[in-house]
Amino acid sequence: MALQLKEEHACESADSDPKIVKFAIVKKRQEDHSLEVGLASFEDAILPHLDAAHNLARWLLRNEQDAQDVVQEAYLRAFKSFAGFHGGNGRAWLLTIVRNTSYTLLKKNRAVDLTTTFDEEIHGSGDEVVSPVTILERSDNAELIKEAMDHLPAEFREILALRHQEGLSYKEIAEIAQIPPGTVMSRLARARTKLREYLAARMGKEK
Amino acid sequence: MNCEQCKNLMDGYLDRELDPITNQKIEQHLRDCRNCDQAYKAHGSLVRAIRDGAPYYKAPAKLRERIQSSLRQEIAKKPVRNVEDSPSLFSARPRWTRTVSFGTPWSGLAFAAAIVFAAIITFNLMSRLQRPGNDQFLATQLIASHARSLMANHLTDVASSDQHTVKPWLDTKLDFAPPVVDLSSEGFPLIGGRLDYLDNRPVAALVYERRKHFINLFVWPASSDAATAPKTITRQGYQLLHWADSDFNYWAVSDVNANDLQTFKQQFETRTPHH
Repeated sequence: MALQLKEEHACESADSDPKIVKFAIVKKRQEDHSLEVGLASFEDAILPHLDAAHNLARWLLRNEQDAQDVVQEAYLRAFKSFAGFHGGNGRAWLLTIVRNTSYTLLKKNRAVDLTTTFDEEIHGSGDEVVSPVTILERSDNAELIKEAMDHLPAEFREILALRHQEGLSYKEIAEIAQIPPGTVMSRLARARTKLREYLAARMGKEK
Repeated sequence: MNCEQCKNLMDGYLDRELDPITNQKIEQHLRDCRNCDQAYKAHGSLVRAIRDGAPYYKAPAKLRERIQSSLRQEIAKKPVRNVEDSPSLFSARPRWTRTVSFGTPWSGLAFAAAIVFAAIITFNLMSRLQRPGNDQFLATQLIASHARSLMANHLTDVASSDQHTVKPWLDTKLDFAPPVVDLSSEGFPLIGGRLDYLDNRPVAALVYERRKHFINLFVWPASSDAATAPKTITRQGYQLLHWADSDFNYWAVSDVNANDLQTFKQQFETRTPHH
């Protein structure tokens, strides 16, 4: 109550007292200026990682429109918390925000996506070893890999993109995916195994 | 190293994330074990297939533009929100008040009580701050003068322990004749005098010494009804002591302790001729 009154009072006096109004304008100008300076340094530090941000969001959401919305939202969030970013690894910092924003959307829109979407029907006998030559010889290799990755759960899609496309270290991946560093290797191993199993089943079916 | 261990560390080995000793152990095992070596090669080509095959989704140019313009909107929005926040907050508040205080009569009463309360506090604060405000401002000036006098090698304009030298010198420079006494016998030898400018007027500064510490005594004519009770202010490690008689304002400023300054005041008062 008292707080409300104070604010109201402050508001009134700010309206009526020309000195305070003037002060407010000066202050606003200073804020504008510092905001512009802040925006410039934010863009210098964080905008170069736009491709990485988009790539991660695109793999997580598997949809271009969602990916763009998430990246835009992530940049806004990043800008608002830029004061808390004290230099260092701008890409990892941004990707953490992109990841969290992506998961928020995934959880909201498609709860099913977070569970394993790995297709058990197509998933053949697990120990089957696909000859690397078989994969690499195919002309639609890229298409197959994409299809296989898209069939993996989100946590596998994300870790494969971070490792193979961004070339991030285990330490950086642990930071972004918010898992213990010791978990990174085993998760990567599981992701690769699942991918191989998918490819094997897919190629086995075609035969 | 056995096959199981090798299999478990395979990914770390491929990604070059293992320590050199473990790397060596794995290399040794791969040389010895055909099966594991084959699995390693297969795994390696799978990793390369992912790396080379998975499409990298670069951001379209229009996304960059979208982000840049949304960031600019954000900073453009911010100050506006600050200004317009107050009314919107204000209009949102009564709703809250109503739900919490169960009906409008209550909130109206509380509102009125709060206004009265705020007015009382404001009035008290204002009246309490009014006078000390002046003193505080003066105190700042006094400390600055004192500090400057010690800093700038400009402690005295007239350096003399003889009050009969200092006083006439000051008298000619000022439009008043400040009392000047030497207090050597009381332990406060007179060092000299100086002109200063305080409280919007030229003032006399008498400089005394107390065991290597200096005391600046600022003197200027008192306004008609200025005979006030002595006042002490301690600030930034300086002692300020103020008193007044019917003719003059006195402000003693020093880093000596408060007792010494009180003694100084008493000695000074006993030695100056009463009016």
